[in-house]
Amino acid sequence: MDISEENKGGVTIVEVRGRIDSNSAKTFGDALTNLIKAGRARLIVDLKNIIYISSAGFRALLLAGRAAEEQQGNIALCNLSSEVRRLFDLARFTDLFPIYGSREEGVAKLS
Amino acid sequence: MTFGNTIAEMRKVVDFVEKFGATHDIPKGATDDLNLCLDEILNNTISYGYDDQSKHSITVTLSVADGWLMAKIQDDGKPFDPRAPGSAPMRGTMQSRQVGGLGRRFVKALMDEVDYERKRQYNVLTLKKKIVER
Repeated sequence: MDISEENKGGVTIVEVRGRIDSNSAKTFGDALTNLIKAGRARLIVDLKNIIYISSAGFRALLLAGRAAEEQQGNIALCNLSSEVRRLFDLARFTDLFPIYGSREEGVAKLS
Repeated sequence: MTFGNTIAEMRKVVDFVEKFGATHDIPKGATDDLNLCLDEILNNTISYGYDDQSKHSITVTLSVADGWLMAKIQDDGKPFDPRAPGSAPMRGTMQSRQVGGLGRRFVKALMDEVDYERKRQYNVLTLKKKIVER
């Protein structure tokens, strides 16, 4: 799994590539929470290039979401494939995180 | 293949499934779903299946026949049937939400058949996925 980030208008876009699974979930979660602790608590997580996210990844995302809320921040997601969207529907995480069709839409909403 | 009961060792299973899928021309969607389910099952076994600190071996056997992709997982951990209903309901706020039972939910949704039996001191779980071209 690879993670990269960029800033756009005060919003941090985090792009994740590969699998978010038992071996990579901690790295994924730490990347998000470290940004939040550094004061960058408005995040768009671009999931266009993930293969899947397992329950370990969902747990890490949930912990990051809590951290963002505590900082009056926000985590949103974008570019979910139909397969990844299915996992979010099964997990009912669509209730917890806004999901956008593109980075641009997400940045506009969070700015 | 057989591997040890650590999360790091699980990486070998991902590669094993990928290579098997490429060798047998299995659609990527099927191998990805299987890898996700194996992640759930194996993480649970490794995290909760043993009361000691000893090394244990887990065996994953892959096969494909008659349009079905199958994975058989055998471990000597505590008896555990993943077909049993999960625990936490999938609702609540960001602060109250729990993810316990989500792994079982994924396995139930992504696999077409799940068979379990306890054979002497082993859990034997078989995951089956109908191979469909996407």
